[in-house]
Amino acid sequence: MGTAAAMMPVPTRTLAADEIGQPAVGCRCDGAAMRNQASLIEPHIPGLRRFACALLRGDRQGADDLVQDCLERAVSRWHLRRAEGDVRGWLYTILYNRFLNEKHRQGRRGVPDALLEVAEAELPGVDGGQDRALEHRDLLRAFAALPEEQRSALLLIGIEDLSYGEAARVLGVPIGTVMSRLSRGRERLRHYMNDGVDRHNAELRSVK
Amino acid sequence: MTPRGRPVEEDDLHARIDGQLPRERSEDVEAYLAAHPEEQARFSQYAQQRQQLRAAFAAQADGPIPMRLRVAHLLAQQRRRQRRRFGEIAAAVCLIALGGIAGWAGRDLTGPATSSPPGSVARVITADAIAAHRTFSVEVRHPVEVDSGQEVHLVQWLSKRLGRPLIVPDLAAAGFRLMGGRLLPAEDGPAAQFMYENGNSERLTLYLRTGIGGETAFRFHEEGGIGALYWSDEGFGYAIAAKADRELLLRIAEIVYQQTSPDGAKAKIPPAPGKPS
Repeated sequence: MGTAAAMMPVPTRTLAADEIGQPAVGCRCDGAAMRNQASLIEPHIPGLRRFACALLRGDRQGADDLVQDCLERAVSRWHLRRAEGDVRGWLYTILYNRFLNEKHRQGRRGVPDALLEVAEAELPGVDGGQDRALEHRDLLRAFAALPEEQRSALLLIGIEDLSYGEAARVLGVPIGTVMSRLSRGRERLRHYMNDGVDRHNAELRSVK
Repeated sequence: MTPRGRPVEEDDLHARIDGQLPRERSEDVEAYLAAHPEEQARFSQYAQQRQQLRAAFAAQADGPIPMRLRVAHLLAQQRRRQRRRFGEIAAAVCLIALGGIAGWAGRDLTGPATSSPPGSVARVITADAIAAHRTFSVEVRHPVEVDSGQEVHLVQWLSKRLGRPLIVPDLAAAGFRLMGGRLLPAEDGPAAQFMYENGNSERLTLYLRTGIGGETAFRFHEEGGIGALYWSDEGFGYAIAAKADRELLLRIAEIVYQQTSPDGAKAKIPPAPGKPS
């Protein structure tokens, strides 16, 4: 491994580099490369924030921390992404892996379930008034209760518009597995919502 | 040529509402739905839920991107960190070199290299790490027990066996990619080994054990062409081993330390080994 010497320029040179404000190591970013990197990454930030927020059940602060972590990794290993691979899938993969890592580290410490607050904050303007708002609330509650793997599949495909193949790569599972998570997640939501309607109707009947 | 393609399946119906159904399937799927009103109802409910969830989360993507998530900001931060890290490494390398000289010069004054109790643990772990490296880094077919494709499982499994949550360091910054890991027997409990490889197929292993008291600085040892750098921190004993010189190992050790230690931002300054007591 004769590369070590190349990675360790002599200190005198570093001082000189520092004095003129140039990065001492890893200076592979000139202005154009930097703008290029920004223009390839930034269009995906809104989607990454949305995905992170939904993964973390509405914890916006935590979501932005997660996105920041993901982006720091992305810029520090920009040269490692596959040249032909799409940046979007790569970013979602990093974010999802960071999420799993973090979740594993924190164990099952109770996460504040902010999704319902999201529901309340975001949805009062939904047309149709009270009933629609309640339905949305129910749906988000059911969504928050889905197993994490089903939630992720529903989010990547139904909201982030990834293809089935892309979603499979982000989640690190075969397409068949993604399809079955998608199918089970959707059915579970439907079941929950229909049950809710039944319960609601039953309550109405019992009042009469 | 058959008038109808293969039978319509659940996946086709999902693909239809996700806009991922190939056009040539469309006719078959529509015909199927027309003939199965209960499926039609079920999938229109899915489609409606899909729409509602999109609406509910749409707001999360709105609004300006905060400064801390802007790429220019992150790049500037990264450059600052690299400058700082370089300074730390340069300082550590100088100190190790000075320590080596001082230790050699003072060898008669201090007797055998200061062997405090943690020193023996360090020697055992370093020797084990080198032996494990020598055994497994040459493996072509089975270099690891669980490969990096199952990283989550790997981490969970080894964390469980070692009784502490482990972090698998990401060494991409030094050009090394995780290959996977394995569980190994050690003196009084299990040890874990993670193996990494760079673009030149050079391999590096990170060996770790739990239940190690105290915090020590980096100790370098070389045996039969394999270099190892040992340190302990937060109850873990770490040793990285590779056919590499001290500088590269130190650079890797810095990365590992920064990712595994809660106060990894601090520089790890090794003491002069030959310090007279």
